[in-house]
Amino acid sequence: MNLFRLAAAASLAALMSGAIAGAAQADATLDRIKQRGSLVAGVILSGAPFGYIDAKSQEQKGFNIDLATELARGLGVKLETVTVTPPNRVQFLQQGKVDLLIANMSWTEERAEMLDFVPTAFERSGGIALGRKGTPVKDWPDLKGKTVCLSQGANFTKPLAEEIGAKIKGFPSQPDSLLALKGGQCDAAVHTGATLRVMLLDHPEDWKDYEILTPTDLLPSLNVIWVRKGETDAREALDGIMRRLHGSGWIIDAAERNRLAVTPYFLETRDANKGR
Amino acid sequence: MADTLLAHITLAPLTLDGVIAFAKGYGLNFSFLKSAYERDMWLEGFRTTLVLIAVTIPVSLAGGILLAGCLTAKSRLLSLPARLFVELTRNTPTLVQLVCAFLGLNMLISDALGGAGRNPFGAFFWVVTVVGLHGAAYHAEALRAGIEAVPDTMREAARSLGFGRLEILRWVELPMALRIALPAIFNNLVNIVKLTTVASAVAVGEITYASIMIWTQRDIVVELMIVLLLFFSAINLALSQVGFWLERRLRTPGLGPAGLGL
Repeated sequence: MNLFRLAAAASLAALMSGAIAGAAQADATLDRIKQRGSLVAGVILSGAPFGYIDAKSQEQKGFNIDLATELARGLGVKLETVTVTPPNRVQFLQQGKVDLLIANMSWTEERAEMLDFVPTAFERSGGIALGRKGTPVKDWPDLKGKTVCLSQGANFTKPLAEEIGAKIKGFPSQPDSLLALKGGQCDAAVHTGATLRVMLLDHPEDWKDYEILTPTDLLPSLNVIWVRKGETDAREALDGIMRRLHGSGWIIDAAERNRLAVTPYFLETRDANKGR
Repeated sequence: MADTLLAHITLAPLTLDGVIAFAKGYGLNFSFLKSAYERDMWLEGFRTTLVLIAVTIPVSLAGGILLAGCLTAKSRLLSLPARLFVELTRNTPTLVQLVCAFLGLNMLISDALGGAGRNPFGAFFWVVTVVGLHGAAYHAEALRAGIEAVPDTMREAARSLGFGRLEILRWVELPMALRIALPAIFNNLVNIVKLTTVASAVAVGEITYASIMIWTQRDIVVELMIVLLLFFSAINLALSQVGFWLERRLRTPGLGPAGLGL
């Protein structure tokens, strides 16, 4: 209920302030960040490698956190993070509770109509399907008519339902979806490849009866940083930093440090931005 | 204001595109209705919510009557387990119960039956069970208040006519208790209607779930939230009207004020 409550509270607040559907805001984020002396980043902590809470130190860790830290450093300010979830992240951004989102939110046309994004993406990935060893599912088309568990808000929902013809069960988070898979509620669970692969590496005992079923990634898309619509200054400043981070090889280092697979996308983007 | 409103209404043709354009005039984006997949999921959500309510309410009422009977029984063998159940159910969050039942208990049942394929219980079953029993615990307490409000003289009169304990419960106590507990019971029913939204946590395709699936995809929270609030308000408004009507209809002459509630 927690997620839903948060979303409900956030949207009611939006309703009351009359800020329906992302009312235009003055382009003041960059000024405000500098004035405040801190960058407030909305991050998702749904699991390694992107974002998680370290069990020992209770600190936020992962690629999202590293990137946010580096962006704040680039702007010459301190970093504050706010944990967001798929149902509330856009509300948090639109209401100014966060300056930007590094929240596993890939680029889609619909989102780009409502929000602005930093053109240089930080990563490109797609979904993979995890299922019990020995199931007849060997590739994406085999999921036709099968039940697929995923996280609410995953952008694989539409292609899985409309193009492949799978039955979708969306759970509030990835851990819930994976528990449902283990409970036999679905034939496969589809999540971002980067997170599932790290999970299988980290917990081989828990997942010994399961394997990755699909040879290719579903709907590989660009993972970008989102800002409020019309915030050109902030977008440009962040894009400059992103290009430097790619060009200097920092992004690849951060990916390796967080065990995010270094895909051709990382190498291409590094080469394109070399010398910046 | 009235003029522009009228213009909107008369200009909006009664088609899907018209409805979407009409909403757009007020800054609301309902363009997801053009996607067959999302539209069907959304409409199915309304239906599933209504089915969920229609099934859960009778389950809660039946459970409530049974529990109330046990709670007020003389035998500790009946009253003690019932009391334990009521306290356990009433004192823990429904969402936690549902997640425990669906992701925990259900898995144990699957293991015991030798595989999830042989487990006949799905998410829908667990939602009805958990929400229904949660409601039953509240009904039971409301009914107990009603049963305890029945004057002892009536019970004595029934006993003198040769009624047994169960007959007294069936013919004397419950009819009186039901009338006394009606406002509390309808209060509980309104709550049950709202509680069905916990189904969204275990991927039962009711309307909150469908809305969450759409708004996390399209980030149109406000639009869907407005519809959700209106939908549940309408159901509960209708439900409380039924309650008022029943209160008037079942009013016991000489008991309570003449002009009840309305």
